[in-house]
Amino acid sequence: MIASILDGIVLGFQFGLLGAGLTLVYGMGGVLNLAYGQMGVIAAITASLAMDAGASVLPAVGLGLIAGGLLGLLLDRTILRPVYRLRDEARVLLSLLLTLGVAFIVDGFLNWRYPLKALNLFISGGAIEILEVPMRRGSLLASAITLVIMALLFVFFRYTILGQAVRSVIEDEEGARLVGIDPNRMMRLILVLSGVLAALVAITRSMVIPVDVQAGFPITVFALIVAVVGGLGSVPGALLAGLILGIVNSIAASTIGTFMSLVILLAAAAVTILIRPSGILGVAE
Amino acid sequence: MLEVRDFSAGYQGNDVIHDINFQVEPGEAVMIIGSNGAGKTTLFRSLCGLLPHSSGRVLFDGVDITRSPAEQIARLGLRFVAAERHLFPRMTVRENLYLGAYPRRPDPETLATVLELFPRLSERQRQHAGTMSGGEQQMLAVGRALMSNPRLLVLDEPSTGLAPLLAQAAYQALRVMRERGLTVLVAEQQVPLAMAFSDRGYVLENGFIRLEGTTGELAANPRVRSAYLGVS
Amino acid sequence: MSEHASATGTSAIGGTEPGVSRSLPSLLGFIAVVGAALALVPLWTGDSRVLMGVAVLGLTFACYTIGFNVIFGSTGQLFLCVGALAGIGGYGAVILADTVGLPIIAGILLATLAAGLTGGLLSFVAVRRSLGVIFTGIVTLIFSLTFEALLLGLGELTGGENGFLIKSGADSFAREQIPPYYLMLTLVLIFLLAHGLLRRSFIGWAFRALRDDEVAAALAGVDIARYRVFAAFIGSAMLGLAGATYAFTEGRISPTTFEFATIDVVAMVMLAFGGIGTLFGPIAGAVTFTIVDEVLIEIGQLRHVAYGALIIALFLWMRRGLLPTAAELWTKNRRNEWKK
Repeated sequence: MIASILDGIVLGFQFGLLGAGLTLVYGMGGVLNLAYGQMGVIAAITASLAMDAGASVLPAVGLGLIAGGLLGLLLDRTILRPVYRLRDEARVLLSLLLTLGVAFIVDGFLNWRYPLKALNLFISGGAIEILEVPMRRGSLLASAITLVIMALLFVFFRYTILGQAVRSVIEDEEGARLVGIDPNRMMRLILVLSGVLAALVAITRSMVIPVDVQAGFPITVFALIVAVVGGLGSVPGALLAGLILGIVNSIAASTIGTFMSLVILLAAAAVTILIRPSGILGVAE
Repeated sequence: MLEVRDFSAGYQGNDVIHDINFQVEPGEAVMIIGSNGAGKTTLFRSLCGLLPHSSGRVLFDGVDITRSPAEQIARLGLRFVAAERHLFPRMTVRENLYLGAYPRRPDPETLATVLELFPRLSERQRQHAGTMSGGEQQMLAVGRALMSNPRLLVLDEPSTGLAPLLAQAAYQALRVMRERGLTVLVAEQQVPLAMAFSDRGYVLENGFIRLEGTTGELAANPRVRSAYLGVS
Repeated sequence: MSEHASATGTSAIGGTEPGVSRSLPSLLGFIAVVGAALALVPLWTGDSRVLMGVAVLGLTFACYTIGFNVIFGSTGQLFLCVGALAGIGGYGAVILADTVGLPIIAGILLATLAAGLTGGLLSFVAVRRSLGVIFTGIVTLIFSLTFEALLLGLGELTGGENGFLIKSGADSFAREQIPPYYLMLTLVLIFLLAHGLLRRSFIGWAFRALRDDEVAAALAGVDIARYRVFAAFIGSAMLGLAGATYAFTEGRISPTTFEFATIDVVAMVMLAFGGIGTLFGPIAGAVTFTIVDEVLIEIGQLRHVAYGALIIALFLWMRRGLLPTAAELWTKNRRNEWKK
């Protein structure tokens, strides 16, 4: 049981960061990015290709992160232009459909060109014992990296001018404009950030389990579940929800079975929407 | 400093304000008075880049800002305090003020000045903006705009929702800033307040500028007296 | 457009339909023409087993798209569970016939009812909880994914990943290709008729009023909840019926038959193509898409790239649907020529 919980925590950190990336874009610009998983997959595959070409791990990972961020930038510059002209529900709907199209394009291309490709960052070394449970180094490293990134995000949003500027756009877009902040540039920044976050999660995940070209849509689904349960638009909510759902998933998978654990996660999201749509930490309307 | 020529603007093809002409010289305090629905808010919002215009030109220190977006205008030194204030509710007073200085770091002197002008803000620095009273929020909105040391401050009905004492205090703060060289353009429904503060003014009625003159001239004008000063 | 139209979200995607009220004879006439045209298809595909299979699948998708159109095109409820509802019909009927031993017809009818009730229930919950379009979409998507997971998880009942061969009716249908075609064609025509009659009735009027301006419709006495749930029920029943019928004609069933990626996305594209909310849009969309899909089958996974590009193009430029937009442009050009 303790092993399950620890595995769940490892998974939970990843879930949290994953959901945070998706929920940030929604909270900031009212955009639901269904190509989110593909951002992560592109990063993983880029890193894998780089390593095939002879690059060592760090530069390859760096390239992967850049790839994820670039896809975010691309989305902002192209597909989302017409989306930004709409407001509220119409905007969410169109963003959903257009990013779905992008997801298909990226997915189709990757599956066609690199059907068997996967990223697998194997961290060598024996298992390390935590609470008398042998944990693989890959899991621990992934968790450590994820935690560091979360801390960096916290510092960024709380204490840097840019981070506060981003928050201000979420708080009151007109107010932000009145103090000279350009909401479009902030949105672009956030989209790039979300791409990098997706990339990070995909790459660190590959330290635990290989990430292949098929992982795109599952990643998006998990991110969506976490974001919804945490409250769309709330980063702390996503982090908390991620942790909880990670643990729940892990325990359920080891007791009931993997399919049923997925059902439980899905049910959690459905129940959240039906009972408390604002999520765990979202602001109730 | 600010020159507005033949300016018209409105919503979805229907102009609310027509052929507006006025100017503001450096160091002046100019008021735009008019009753509800005269078009003051539309005028200010389109001047400051929040609404599109339909015709005319706006020049700020010679720079054509007619088509500039709000964020660009703010960076040029023209700060707008809107009627709705648009504060950042879940951020603290401090964070709100600091953001006023964006993209620069807040200047300690300016911050000190603002906190002096509005002692209530000084007390509540760590309080979330959304939890403050109307009067305090208005002070914060003005303070935030002042944090960037603007050359021109434009305010849309700053006395709205404020108790008379607070409104007086707000204008008093503006007077102090004027002494330090701030130019002010203010739209007001509470005409006596505006008159006590401004050097010159324009009367806006149904989207047109009907009268202009020094405060003294306007105060003596019979139409103005009967319509806005309650004197028959 | 009033703000309320965007509350249902359909105005962003395009839901106003041209020329609704046809007289009953002309409605029947159009349907007859469509039926006759489609009836001729086996003349040149009849020899190829593969092509006939494609044709049957195409008609099945036409049914799915009509069902989706009734739910989404009429009342703006974004049900992203078309595949799952069809799957309830399919797996339901097959399990009832094979495992429980009911006659095929009974199995199909019960499964159809189950699908209809499920859809109606989803709609009821969505209305009760005032879920907007987005959340309705997410909840129904969750339903889809849950259904898929359950199909895989409850392996003993459903045959898991591989599904199973259907025993009931194996003699009548599974060997043939042509009778199933005409069976599905009959369904298509019935669905078209049902939808057409619905649109012309008071119910259809209520649907349109509801979609265009919810508030005004409510003031006019339209019980939004009731019509939404009813539309969802009818549409879902159509989906279930189509799914059940298709399953028996195929002779085998597996989770991929009713996956979200296989069914929902394609139905949405077909509908967007042919015109959301129109009567014959689903047919036009289904026919076009089936042909295009067959042509593109050579390039394998790259097809998905094409579909993605198609989705983007459709919702960016042709919100009313490719064919209605083309029709508009054509009439505009003709009018301009006329002026010269």
